[in-house]
Amino acid sequence: MTPNSVSTPSRRSFLASTAVVTAAVAGGMPLLAACGGGQEGRKEGTTSGKDAAKILPAFAAQSVVTPDLPAKNGSTAGFTKAIAPADLKTSVAKKLGSGGRLTVMAPFWGTPPAGSNPYYQAMNKAIGVEVTWQNQDGVTYDQKLGAVLASSDIPDVVVVPAWNLTGRIPSAINAKFADLGPYLSGDKVKDYPNLAAVPTDAWQRAIFGGQLRAIPMPASNVTNIAPFYRKDLFDKKGYSLPKSPDEFLAWAKEATDAKSKVWACDDMKWSAFNFFGALSGGDKALWWNLEDGKLINRIETDQYLEALEWTRKLYAAHVVHPDAISGKAGGDAGNRFTAGQCLVYNQDLSAWYGKTSEQRTQKNDFEMGAFDIFGPDGGDPTLWAVQPASIFTFVSKKASKQQIKDLLAVANFCAAPFGTTERMLTMYGVEGADYDLKKGLPVKSTQGVNEVNGAFDYTGDPAPFTAYTDLPDITRSIVEWQQRMGAFTKKSSFYGLTITEPTRWANLADDFEQLEDDVVRGRKKISDVQQAVSDWKSKGGDELRDWYKKLLDDNGSAAK
Amino acid sequence: MAHSTVPRSRAEAATRKATAKGPADRRRAPGRPGKVSLRLRFKRDRTLILMTLPAVLLLLLFNYIPILGNVVAFQDYDPYLSDNGFIAMLQSPWVGFEQFQRIFADSAFWHAVQNTFVLFFLQLVLFFPIPILLALLINSLIRPRVRAVAQAIMYLPHFFSWVLVVTVFQQVFGGAGIIAQTLAQHGHGGFDVMTDPEIFKYLVTLQSVWKDAGWGIIVFLAALSSVPNDLYEAAAMDGANRWRRIWHITLPALRPVIALLLVLRVGDALTVGFEQLLLQRQAVGPDASEVLDTYVWWNGIRNQDFSYAAAAGLVKGVVGLSLVLVANKVAHLMGEQGVYKK
Repeated sequence: MTPNSVSTPSRRSFLASTAVVTAAVAGGMPLLAACGGGQEGRKEGTTSGKDAAKILPAFAAQSVVTPDLPAKNGSTAGFTKAIAPADLKTSVAKKLGSGGRLTVMAPFWGTPPAGSNPYYQAMNKAIGVEVTWQNQDGVTYDQKLGAVLASSDIPDVVVVPAWNLTGRIPSAINAKFADLGPYLSGDKVKDYPNLAAVPTDAWQRAIFGGQLRAIPMPASNVTNIAPFYRKDLFDKKGYSLPKSPDEFLAWAKEATDAKSKVWACDDMKWSAFNFFGALSGGDKALWWNLEDGKLINRIETDQYLEALEWTRKLYAAHVVHPDAISGKAGGDAGNRFTAGQCLVYNQDLSAWYGKTSEQRTQKNDFEMGAFDIFGPDGGDPTLWAVQPASIFTFVSKKASKQQIKDLLAVANFCAAPFGTTERMLTMYGVEGADYDLKKGLPVKSTQGVNEVNGAFDYTGDPAPFTAYTDLPDITRSIVEWQQRMGAFTKKSSFYGLTITEPTRWANLADDFEQLEDDVVRGRKKISDVQQAVSDWKSKGGDELRDWYKKLLDDNGSAAK
Repeated sequence: MAHSTVPRSRAEAATRKATAKGPADRRRAPGRPGKVSLRLRFKRDRTLILMTLPAVLLLLLFNYIPILGNVVAFQDYDPYLSDNGFIAMLQSPWVGFEQFQRIFADSAFWHAVQNTFVLFFLQLVLFFPIPILLALLINSLIRPRVRAVAQAIMYLPHFFSWVLVVTVFQQVFGGAGIIAQTLAQHGHGGFDVMTDPEIFKYLVTLQSVWKDAGWGIIVFLAALSSVPNDLYEAAAMDGANRWRRIWHITLPALRPVIALLLVLRVGDALTVGFEQLLLQRQAVGPDASEVLDTYVWWNGIRNQDFSYAAAAGLVKGVVGLSLVLVANKVAHLMGEQGVYKK
């Protein structure tokens, strides 16, 4: 049940107490969707086109090393060869940090390292800022975020993934975080050359509530969720890769052997949405697409329901690892995968390298792959582009100018391109502790795998790239997978834009994720989803559709 | 927040008991020659008052002042209106009972209420007697070393976090746990206690018993130790067997404690567990696992619908208070002291 369940006239009237909302409800005025930068008052809608151009940083390309695998079809650029330490360039000529202190709260996937580990210390020293990390569990980060943002004491810097921008978090962001425009807009960004090389479409995403509020982490717009399989175990058993959802189910039944504690797969919901071509679920604006002149939402599509139904079949056939049913309390899917308890699981593409490098320190023959996403009938899939930046770093409004500059120093350092000493330190940590040079190749130690993971990586990044030089085959596989999938990728109507929905509808779709999980586990029926969709429509979904339509008419679509 | 109107601990209940005695003294006062003036009474009791002062301050600071925050239940509270949550409270628009209307129209809320009461009654029937039985058992152990070891083993799970308890249960009773694995190897697949919404209520009760039943015996053991041995000896002389002695000596001695704890438990009826249920929410879905506390948390913290959650919390507090009043009344009617007396 959505919290905004009762939309009586009285509720409407109190919500309409701010002028902005009155305008939107009455429809008599344009949606204020395109105010110029620097205005505090506007909290909803989006900023694009000319208005965005006023606040976006100027782009200044940077080329240190030419990629072995150039970006294509929206893929990342791939670097397969390590650069010898002597040949590394320097991109940050002088320390930009003031020696001040910054507390950064960020999501962390895995077990956070000790706060004073050699990697963090070395980074802090090189940047000239004393960063203290508050690494929070990434899986339940949304729960932490809501509470922290509601308090009056928020950390200096907060990292927020786009998929956590649910409920009222977007309005919290507009209220609590500083405008970085005065430091970055136009040519000002040139003080931070590495940030100037961040692609403009990533910066476009960093405009929240009419202001440039974030440092974006640029990303490939090809879906980041890959269905991984244990190549070593597949080879051993002689399985061939399934080529359609039906084949997958048939294979899964054959491969599951509960007696030996082996299940075919883990929760496959995310992949199912891709197999069946459901609109992207990562960012709320991407839920919408213009079809035949009408905006439709992913939850209204047949593809969405088909994906849920197929995932439900997997659970019903008991081919999904039983601990997956319990979600977080059941343990970590990645661990079940590496332990060989499930043969297929879906995860962010970065797990390809992450899991392989982690496992190779103990098992030399560990091998995983990602199979190509297939369409509902086994043909080519229809994939929807994900946003070109999906992790953002914000600075608290209460931070001093010096602190903002210190964060920009951190971001500029971390955004150094491949082939620089800064990149090397960010990616591999300290030689001798986090990695060793083996035949000129940096290879992470166990300590390095634990310490050099996330954190600094989220606060700033260059244009999307893949450069796991210690595992060049995996680098190549990742880039090529993105390029193949990129060929099937389409952009939906609001691709590339960051949109703040009016708060009165902010909680409208909150419970769909829970409902999906209930349906695939067999606790609720597909008809319950249909019922929820019709409730969603009557409680504001249709009004929200009109609101988005107006936004589209006023701003135009970024998708081509 | 709202819940703090109900005594949360014995200590708090005891404080109330102590303060509640005041008027009773005064009523007795006219019988005495010359009223004791307030000043004199203060002078007489100042050491005691001084000693309660820290507790009173803590209560004020952490229980009573936060109650004021309940005003957001009557607002459309937006904490982001100002950098300071309290100032935002002043700026948020008033909506009267709007949030309460929303709650009462929300079927998920009634579902949570239902789950809460079902869990409460299950815990009352299945959990509450167990510490008493364990206390009797431990009390019957003579050798001090055996007794100490038994007690330590029973106390230990109390110090485990819920995350650990749920993980242990998952490893034992889960679909890939020890039992399921053993059964599967003998041809009985499909065993999974952890994800069955139907038996979830028994599962959480079992988890609570395993974790906290041992801890619960402390109070009963203390009560048992105050029973004079002469009584047992005398009864034994009169030919009372073991059961007779328990029935006529031990249980009557425990009665006031049982009544007190029962009243307290009823006051806490709407608090049936939080982390435990939240952790297992995904395993069985909100239909089976949502109780009032998790409902408040989910809407307030996760969905940031603060006013809505505050209103739900307030409802819970008011119902909890009336339950404790009723239970106390019943205790009085039964001739027990209960939590407090007028």
